[in-house]
Amino acid sequence: MKQIVDRLRQEAARLLAAGDVAMVIGYAKGTDVARTTPYFATNEEEAQNLTWNPFCTNNLVKYLLDFRFEDTKLAVVVKGCDSKGINRLIYDRQFPRERVVVLGVPCGGLLDRSKVLATIDPGAELQSVEDLGQEFVVRTDHGEFTFAKEQYLLPKCAVCRNPNPVISDVLLGEELPVAEEEKSDTFDDIVEMEALDPAAKSAFWDRHFNRCLRCYACRNVCPACNCRECAFEQAVPGWQQEACWLSKKASVDNNYTFHLIRMFDVTGRCIDCGECERVCPVNIPLRKLYRKVIKDVQELFGDTTPGLNIGDGLPLTSYRKEDPEEFM
Amino acid sequence: MFKRLMEYVGFEPERFEVRWISGSEGGKVVETAIEMAEKIKALGPNRKMRDAK
Repeated sequence: MKQIVDRLRQEAARLLAAGDVAMVIGYAKGTDVARTTPYFATNEEEAQNLTWNPFCTNNLVKYLLDFRFEDTKLAVVVKGCDSKGINRLIYDRQFPRERVVVLGVPCGGLLDRSKVLATIDPGAELQSVEDLGQEFVVRTDHGEFTFAKEQYLLPKCAVCRNPNPVISDVLLGEELPVAEEEKSDTFDDIVEMEALDPAAKSAFWDRHFNRCLRCYACRNVCPACNCRECAFEQAVPGWQQEACWLSKKASVDNNYTFHLIRMFDVTGRCIDCGECERVCPVNIPLRKLYRKVIKDVQELFGDTTPGLNIGDGLPLTSYRKEDPEEFM
Repeated sequence: MFKRLMEYVGFEPERFEVRWISGSEGGKVVETAIEMAEKIKALGPNRKMRDAK
């Protein structure tokens, strides 16, 4: 992992020194051993603060949109999952391809912060992390720890199909091998949910949506949610100041409307980076919602995971003769 | 697609129906409406997403 960090710093410094990019968006050391923070390097010295380890959970792609109305060129560090977000933004014409330099990192999975902190003292100083394939060896000033991937990976990483970036200008490390049987998703969690009867499903989502604060963190972090003006943030409540679909009040039925609309909006577009679920302050299992639409799109339209390449049309906005006609 | 989402969050599958009916098929409209009304009557009133109205 040290090679990747060295390569990253070297590449970032080179890009910044040559004036190729105005900023490198990456990760830097966080406030505790199992945390990294998004970092915006604008010169060679700052580039030396960039880092990479299995605690780099944030998807940095969404930060590009903060600069979408400028004309500077930016570099961004992406993992396999995040890289699909780059394709999303390019396809949605939210960010031009020629203004971004993609620094891709082949990623062997991310460690679950809370599980790791149960073992390591948060105040420990992280020295190095090594990826041994089946496990991570984390060296700190409090000693050396081994974390088996099977046990300590984030849930999304345990079923990851794209450890290697699907789009990148500079690949910072060796591509990781992907076993053939790992390439398709079985959606076990969704099938389990679908099998419940309506009352049980209703109770499950009532319980979760009841706690939703409508803070919109899930929307803000989502690379597929990239409208300039959001339906939920009108000066006068109600979509286009007309029909009042939804009040600002966070009640369970308003929350249902919000989540159903967002779920429908990301249909065929959600890249399953899992950021919504990570940022949710009340821990709503949002991936259970959005993975449902990924599964349905695959069943109905035969499309594979969205964002794998820039050119794929969206299933709900394109017409094909063989589209299903369940309502005829 | 939307029907599947509604079912997933706990609506009864019978509650939501989309039909494609041409303007010249008046009879089919009536049939569908009656059929739907009967289904809904059997289900009873919807309690979901009704708390604040």
